[in-house]
Amino acid sequence: MKLKKLAAVLMAGMMVASLAAGCGSSSESGEAASGSTAAAEDGAYKIALIQQHQTNAFQIAVTEAAEEKAEELGVELTILSADQDAATQISQIEQCTSEGYDAILFEPVDPDALGDASKTASDAGVVVINIISACTDWENYGISALSCGDNVTAGETEMQHVADLLDGKGNIAILTGPSGDSGGLQRMEGYENILANYPDIVQVVEPADCEWDTASAQSTVESWLSAYDLDAIICENDGMAVGAGNAAGADSGIIIAGVDGTPDGFEAINDGRITGTVSQDGGAMAANGIEAAVKLLNGETLESNTIITTNVWIDINNVADYE
Amino acid sequence: MKQNRNVKALISDYFIFVIFIVLVVGLTILKPSFIQPGNLANILKQASINGILSFGMMFVILAGGFDMSVGSTVAFAGIIAALLGNGDYPLILPLIAAMVSGLCVGIVNGVGVAVGELPPFIMTLGTMTGVRGLALLISNGKPITGISPEYRAVAAGSVAGIPMLAVFLVIVIIICSFVTSKTVYGRRVYACGGNLQAARVAGINTTMIRISTFAIAGLLAGFCGFLMTSRVTIGQPTAAESYEMDAITACVVGGVSMSGGVGKPWGVVVGSLLITVIANGLDILGVSSHWQKIVKGLIIVLAVLIDVKGKGKKN
Amino acid sequence: MEYILDMKDISKTFPGVVALDHVQLQIKPGEVHALMGENGAGKSTLMKILMGIYTMDPGGEIQFDGKPYHASNPKEAMDQGVAMIHQELNPILDMTVYENIFVGREMKKNGLVDKKGMIEASKQLIQECGLHVSPTETLRNLTVAQCQLIEIIKAISVNAKVIIMDEPTAAITDREVELLFGHIRRLTEKGVAIIYISHRMDEIFSICDRVSVYRDGQYIGTGTTKELDEPKLIQMMVGREITDVFPKLEAEIGEVIFEANHITRADNKVKDVSISVRKGEILGLGGLVGAGRSELVEGIFGMHKLSQGEIIVKGEKIQVKSPRDIIRKGVALITEDRKVTGLNLSGTVNDNIAMVAIKKLLSHGLYSRKRANKASLEYIEKLKIKTPSGEQIVGNLSGGNQQKVVLAKWLLNDPDVIILDEPTRGIDVGAKRDIYLLIGSLVQQGKAVIMISGEIPELMGVCDRIMVMCEGNLSGEVHRDEFSQEKIMTLASAIQV
Repeated sequence: MKLKKLAAVLMAGMMVASLAAGCGSSSESGEAASGSTAAAEDGAYKIALIQQHQTNAFQIAVTEAAEEKAEELGVELTILSADQDAATQISQIEQCTSEGYDAILFEPVDPDALGDASKTASDAGVVVINIISACTDWENYGISALSCGDNVTAGETEMQHVADLLDGKGNIAILTGPSGDSGGLQRMEGYENILANYPDIVQVVEPADCEWDTASAQSTVESWLSAYDLDAIICENDGMAVGAGNAAGADSGIIIAGVDGTPDGFEAINDGRITGTVSQDGGAMAANGIEAAVKLLNGETLESNTIITTNVWIDINNVADYE
Repeated sequence: MKQNRNVKALISDYFIFVIFIVLVVGLTILKPSFIQPGNLANILKQASINGILSFGMMFVILAGGFDMSVGSTVAFAGIIAALLGNGDYPLILPLIAAMVSGLCVGIVNGVGVAVGELPPFIMTLGTMTGVRGLALLISNGKPITGISPEYRAVAAGSVAGIPMLAVFLVIVIIICSFVTSKTVYGRRVYACGGNLQAARVAGINTTMIRISTFAIAGLLAGFCGFLMTSRVTIGQPTAAESYEMDAITACVVGGVSMSGGVGKPWGVVVGSLLITVIANGLDILGVSSHWQKIVKGLIIVLAVLIDVKGKGKKN
Repeated sequence: MEYILDMKDISKTFPGVVALDHVQLQIKPGEVHALMGENGAGKSTLMKILMGIYTMDPGGEIQFDGKPYHASNPKEAMDQGVAMIHQELNPILDMTVYENIFVGREMKKNGLVDKKGMIEASKQLIQECGLHVSPTETLRNLTVAQCQLIEIIKAISVNAKVIIMDEPTAAITDREVELLFGHIRRLTEKGVAIIYISHRMDEIFSICDRVSVYRDGQYIGTGTTKELDEPKLIQMMVGREITDVFPKLEAEIGEVIFEANHITRADNKVKDVSISVRKGEILGLGGLVGAGRSELVEGIFGMHKLSQGEIIVKGEKIQVKSPRDIIRKGVALITEDRKVTGLNLSGTVNDNIAMVAIKKLLSHGLYSRKRANKASLEYIEKLKIKTPSGEQIVGNLSGGNQQKVVLAKWLLNDPDVIILDEPTRGIDVGAKRDIYLLIGSLVQQGKAVIMISGEIPELMGVCDRIMVMCEGNLSGEVHRDEFSQEKIMTLASAIQV
């Protein structure tokens, strides 16, 4: 585990170094990077987007939507990945600040770790925008705007639909992301808000930490099903819902729900392995964030410094609209 | 006296087996549904991928090596199989493609270690990171969907109530046990791990043996990638994270010496089943997954400790 | 107080084996006391109990310096004044000389490591020892002999009252042996007692005052070297009289079967050496430590790169890129260091015997445990290997028996040319004799043997012809009818012929 971290830090270090050398390999396009100073002189804003990581469908949707938005608005966008490491993310923010970026957008790896780095960046005159999940007390750290979905609401939406489908009564189990992940904890909070209204919905097992992983969720649910009578399985992301769906089989009669709205989830909804999912439009969050940054750089003001992207329940009836 | 010694030796030799039985009996008492055929089938399914990986790992460790890259290789091969497994081609194509890609990773590892004389740990740490990157690159970071129903059926199917995955595992066990104990190649793997220099002086082509053990690990990891995609019905670039650790654990718990040259296939089978039974049993008991990690850690240390102590007394 | 160390009624039982059976040992202050006995007699076990590596069975008693003594690990033993120089020394090769001398008991100044102080102290110790190395030199750059002297310096420097030396001269030259003996004498004058374990008779008689003999875990007796002589000592050790130490069997010498011409190694440790051996002949390779004898045979065997040379086996010129190429032609090399290049210590006797000629243990193309057992039983009997079965782990056997396993491994391949590098080092008289007889019977079968040894009497006793090396060159050749110790010594120490 430790070694992996070490490897990640090494790689991140290399990325920072390549950024410092002015040839950011993950920049939007080759020409933009090679002519970065010229582009800045043209008046195009230089904006950096630092993602938590780039290894799942949700994050890739963020990347793609941000690139699209940047092209639309004519800004020069550089995308970096923090590879799930807060220390890397801090150095990336510092690096971007000293590189003279006009705005930095980031999704915090840890809600509590990025405050000081954001403050330093904004003190240096950079517009700092927090996307997807909020930093703790973000307004106190010079962050100009927050563009996010609401994980609590997403959790509430998911659990509410499940509760309705169960008619307020039944045995359920929950699969969670890595313990301590802030998005996961907020979704759990949403679940609990709804469950408080339904005393007849019983959690028959402790929530299992399946670390967003399909195979691990699949094994856990297989084991559960041989020992428990479950009416519904609520998962904190689609990947785990797919695993649960695989374990239960298509049209099993067990309600299985996820969060995210990623292609693997849609596929499983279509063939009846999972019941539904709550979309988290990461792309919209990133796009809104970039829009807000450009507005602020142009000297305009925002209607609100918190931009919320709404959640939608997707099931077999409307899945075709989202694929 | 002799009797006494034999009993002691027997206990230390089969200690891990004893732990396994105790665990099974204990879980059955706590939760009778543990021993139901349905759950036993679950255990076999869940043990299969780790079991197959562990056998690849066993060859590498027996020859005195170490492979950190098998988890990434599973993901990489899984993505390749997923891309080819959408029903456009016969199933044999994704199978072969996955195994060949695994084999390539293994050969790169082997050449780096045996010819380039890199420490196995460093070499495979490099491929672990690099191959994971390759998996993310070709999948563009997203899960690959659209796996054909025939392909899904490979892992989901069963023969006479025995899951297909378990059938594959049994085939791998039989082949590997045969190779290690009965073939000239197998005996030479043990010789290389026992004393590489002596093996070389004895005229064994140690370079080829070492490359081949990594190649076997890669080949089996590729096969696991194929099965993994079928089982989870999507090709995930992030799949099989830290599976190498579980494979190493199964080997070590099963009595394979990390310094090479010592270890038996049946030990690896028990080691791999033991890990699965812990996870499955605690899931069934509804114990929080945090406890699972603690229990797994304790059993690893305990198993190896008693093993080492038992051997120390014997000498 | 007559004895500095008094061990009484010491027993040690391992599961199934009685390693020591109520033995005793009394050491006087300032004496050099030899422990003798064949391998497996219990000397090492007794010393391991003294060093706290093994715990003795209840009932035994150890008095040290007038007080009851107990050590549960080597550190405790050293703190009480008992130090040991091991048979297989394990210096830390990547650390410097002074770090090795002071490892585990570093000098400190203000709570920090006192590097300067240690270097100074080491310099002093090294000079006293007549060694010419810098204290800051890394051990890896020193010769085996120099490393060994560093270990000896280390033991001397802890101010021990009893120092155990286990085969201290096994890897050092005669000149260094003289220096070592000088040290031993100086130490004994100060009242330090030395427990000296060696198989070399000449050393026992030249340096030791008294000898205690053990056999099969039993205490046989103690005597002074003045009242004992070599045959008597051997009789005590093996329990029977051995008349000829170097038995020589008659064999018919035939045509040349193996030639290595103009061998020059890429690292220049061997320069333009040519040797040849005939069927039925035993060729000795003599010379001092570092003369290039092992380097020559390892080069021939494809373990090191040659920059020049040709190898002809049975009239056929062969290319040797790796040991495989020459093994195929029927050549075997029993290497000097069985633990490094000879044995798979974690494997069984069967596993080891199968290393070279596994093809002979196959049935229907597959490895057959039955055949392996049969083959190892045959060699266990033929070579008198003391092991319960072919399934025994080789690491658990004694040194002499391990050496026999190495021989068995090669003999199974039925080689025509057998190269033996120090085949009798560190093994006891009885086992040595077994090996000489084995070599004799091999040449009687028409095989050729090349034998390296640092012991000139052994070479003279066993060989038909001796080639002597010096500093990587061949310095001369002596035939059996001209054998003399002086002649060989002169050749071994000459720079040029």
